[in-house]
Amino acid sequence: MSVELSGVRFSYGASPVLDGADLSLSTGEFVVLAGHNGSGKSTLLKLCLGLLRPDAGSIRVLGGSPDDASVRRRIGYAPQGLRVVTSIPISVGEVVTAGLTPTTPTIRRDRAGERERTRSALAAVGMEDLVRECLFELSGGQQQRTILARALVADPPLLLLDEPTTGIDQQLRPRLAQELRARADAGATVLAVSHDPDDFHAVLDRILVISEGRLREMTHDQFHAHFEVP
Amino acid sequence: MSVFTASFAIRAYIAVAAVGVAAPLVGSFLVQRRLALIGDGIGHLAFAGVAIGVALSVAPVWGALAASLIGAIALDRLRAAGRIAGDLALALVFYGALALGIVLLGATHRFDSSALGVLFGDPFVASDGDVLVAVVLCALVVAAIVPFYRQLLAVALDEETARSSGLPVDALNVLTVALTALLVSAGMRVVGLLLVASLLVIPVAAGSRLAHSFRDTVRWAIVIGVLSGLVGLLVALAPPGTLAPGGTIVLTSIVVFVIAAFAGRRAARRHPRSS
Repeated sequence: MSVELSGVRFSYGASPVLDGADLSLSTGEFVVLAGHNGSGKSTLLKLCLGLLRPDAGSIRVLGGSPDDASVRRRIGYAPQGLRVVTSIPISVGEVVTAGLTPTTPTIRRDRAGERERTRSALAAVGMEDLVRECLFELSGGQQQRTILARALVADPPLLLLDEPTTGIDQQLRPRLAQELRARADAGATVLAVSHDPDDFHAVLDRILVISEGRLREMTHDQFHAHFEVP
Repeated sequence: MSVFTASFAIRAYIAVAAVGVAAPLVGSFLVQRRLALIGDGIGHLAFAGVAIGVALSVAPVWGALAASLIGAIALDRLRAAGRIAGDLALALVFYGALALGIVLLGATHRFDSSALGVLFGDPFVASDGDVLVAVVLCALVVAAIVPFYRQLLAVALDEETARSSGLPVDALNVLTVALTALLVSAGMRVVGLLLVASLLVIPVAAGSRLAHSFRDTVRWAIVIGVLSGLVGLLVALAPPGTLAPGGTIVLTSIVVFVIAAFAGRRAARRHPRSS
């Protein structure tokens, strides 16, 4: 199993978010995690990343604890939206290459290899020509694709993606979904938080929905019936 | 012999060039993390260290180094643990340290022109030993940043994602503030404890107006840092030779910033970026 949650409880203060959540993701699965705003989707990702600790229950990621840095180095994480706010310009290439930092040696780096991996990750999101561009001069969708490329660049065995298609053109979304499917077919496990699983309908294996602190599996039709997505 | 090539001037050039390289290098990470003013606060801590050193008959730079290192790391750890929050707590510590320094120097009858030299700098009175210490401290800063450049950049870009990817964020944060403390101590003789923080920030701000990446910003900032330092010294040395070098260095860097901001805006007009 790539991810295993058992009886996980978590609350922000007195407000419970997860209440006995169970989850098992097999290697190579592509799963979309859906639910209402505030239902705990992003919280669940942060628990898997070791950024939050459960009040109760156990979490195993890639066979180890998410508190273990060697485990976290093998996770590709794309947060929702851009967190970088600064007056210093940052190039697209610098942001994507930062995704390689945890897994590459401090000295004796393979610079040519890193450039190729960065180019390849940007190609996967359709941005290979923008490597030298300043991130803050790009559109919101291009910035989101840059964040996605940073998660992909190290070719990790587990991808945790928080609303990866936010702001991205509708025409580009099938290409990104296919790219993630290809990663899953190659052995990576993909867990993507999304308001709308339609973006991934053609390629996903399962839809999981967080409701009242627990995870339920739904078919695409059940999801639409439950959430009344037009 | 011209005043511009006198041995005291040469020593000043060397010290200023060393700080001009190291300050923007560490300052780039501080500015990126919105910690631009931390150098100013650490300067206040260092002043208390100088006073304690004087009271204990220890060379000022060592007192400054000890106080700024211990204080900066302690503040970072308290901040990380959520024990202090907001500007108010930091202001209490920093201004308290400045006041402590003044009181201690007064109590030891040393609140005189040498204290002003510590606060506002005077590289022209730096001894060979002072210059050597400044150069070694700056070299340490550069030697520590170069191998960890990418890790520091990853943390500066997005601390949460860096932490989630297994980088030792806490250790890198300690490294950043410790290097800032080293730099402040190195710059004490050059521009003084009250102005050294400006060399952490202003060259970076100027460089960012001319660059499209973090790496290019750092390169420009180093060039501007060295250039501002040397031009500032030349201005101070020029007749009548009564201008304070710490002030001329900082004012020169501000002039360069204004020029860079103007040049950057013109370049952006000529080459509008795609979106």
